Amino acid sequence: MAKHETPLLDQLESGPWPSFVTDLKQQAATKPECWDILGILELSFKDRITHWKHGGIVGVFGYGGGIVGRYADVPELFPGVEHFHTVRVAQPSSKYYSSANLRQLCDLWEKHGSGVTNMHGSTGDIILLGTRTENLEPFFWDLTHDMNQDLGGSGSNLRTPANCIGESRCEWSCYDTEEACYKLTMQYQDEIHRPAFPYKFKFKFSGCPNDCVAAIARSDISVIGTWKDDIRIDQAAVKEYIAGNYPSNGGAHSGRDWGKFDITKEVIDLCPTNCMWMEGGELKIDNSECTRCMHCINVMPRALRPGAEKGASVLVGAKAPILDGAQFSTLVLPFIPMSADNDFEELVEFIEKVWDWWMEVGKNRERVGETMQRVGLPTFIKVMELEPIPQMVKEPRSNPYVFWAEEEVEGGFERDVEEFRAKHAA
Amino acid sequence: MALSKDELKAAIIEKATKSPKPQLYIKDFYACDPDAKPREIKNIANELVREQKLMFWSSGSTTMYGVPSRIKNDDGEGGV
Repeated sequence: MAKHETPLLDQLESGPWPSFVTDLKQQAATKPECWDILGILELSFKDRITHWKHGGIVGVFGYGGGIVGRYADVPELFPGVEHFHTVRVAQPSSKYYSSANLRQLCDLWEKHGSGVTNMHGSTGDIILLGTRTENLEPFFWDLTHDMNQDLGGSGSNLRTPANCIGESRCEWSCYDTEEACYKLTMQYQDEIHRPAFPYKFKFKFSGCPNDCVAAIARSDISVIGTWKDDIRIDQAAVKEYIAGNYPSNGGAHSGRDWGKFDITKEVIDLCPTNCMWMEGGELKIDNSECTRCMHCINVMPRALRPGAEKGASVLVGAKAPILDGAQFSTLVLPFIPMSADNDFEELVEFIEKVWDWWMEVGKNRERVGETMQRVGLPTFIKVMELEPIPQMVKEPRSNPYVFWAEEEVEGGFERDVEEFRAKHAA
Repeated sequence: MALSKDELKAAIIEKATKSPKPQLYIKDFYACDPDAKPREIKNIANELVREQKLMFWSSGSTTMYGVPSRIKNDDGEGGV
């Protein structure tokens, strides 16, 4: 029987879709504190203000992340959620786990917490919602000792790195995203578990420019697979697509009759840089103009493949805040090799260079992308000792003045004015 | 001249104890030794947490430091 009247929440059960309200009522049969989740949320709907407070000193010994303190500001009304801390558990690479592992994790959370989960948080962690402070250490002991799993990142830490399925299942992956993610996760354990930075920091690994983990939109350093040479074309397979013998997009849209495949309309005309054309019955690509959008490869996967010289592009500065608008990351390193044989040393060297600069220059609660915006991209690339490339230019300059640094001007800014005036009248 | 490790620890504790604010960002400790690199200051501050002379306070999105006697347990700030 319901502990609280929740008429407003009950409306959320009336639609045809699954409802978290129904789920919580079901969970309340064994975890009575779930009634208080519904009760406090109903009160928030009525009062039009949250009744959650978050933040605090809760955590497990030695860790500065992985637990987010949550408290009710009306504990006398809802004692079951007086403490309702969130636990972030690091997800396995590519989010591969066995059903046995999931059952064990759910059993563990039923034992130490509310049993309510969020699979997954936007960073990728497995989010376990709702436990009391005194349950945190026992939970952590069981998680690490019985399940060999660990907490993820929170606060001003390196957040749990995430990666796409990469070479484990995807033919387009240009590097081993799982190896890169695992290697860097292990290398930066201290940064994941203890605060290190002015604010949160994320890196994510996508194997190709399809960017299935949305690294470009969500991570401070996005590592996105790419290739240096030409898209590999199987002209015989192109002909099969044109003849309608191979389904486009791997058959992904075959549930409806879209008509005969039209390579001009569906591929060539949609190329964002117009770098494709048909010539003598063959598909041609001006690879120097290709921006790696992946559209043609996605449409004709049996005919087109990424090039053979593979690596990654590194972009910096994305963030997805709720209030002031999302920002994509900026291409900084167009191509680096990605090899586990040298422990991804080019990437590691760059990451640490960014960190050293940001830790010094970044303001409190300022993401690295915001620091870049504040100081300007020219300053950032100068500090990173990089040559500017056209992809870094957002738009042509709108003012006619070119500012030179003194060291860029022959003879510097000191000059003999008399000598100058002898040749150039005032 | 850079401070020794013990001097830097003492300077951090003094800053955390005497600051008007009970919770401080890691950057607030940089001034304890302008010659030290940010990463060194961070490592020392985290070592002081392990020694239980400092504590973490986390809003979920940001982590701050303070001496245990000055930190409140359950007040929130900022967004996660």
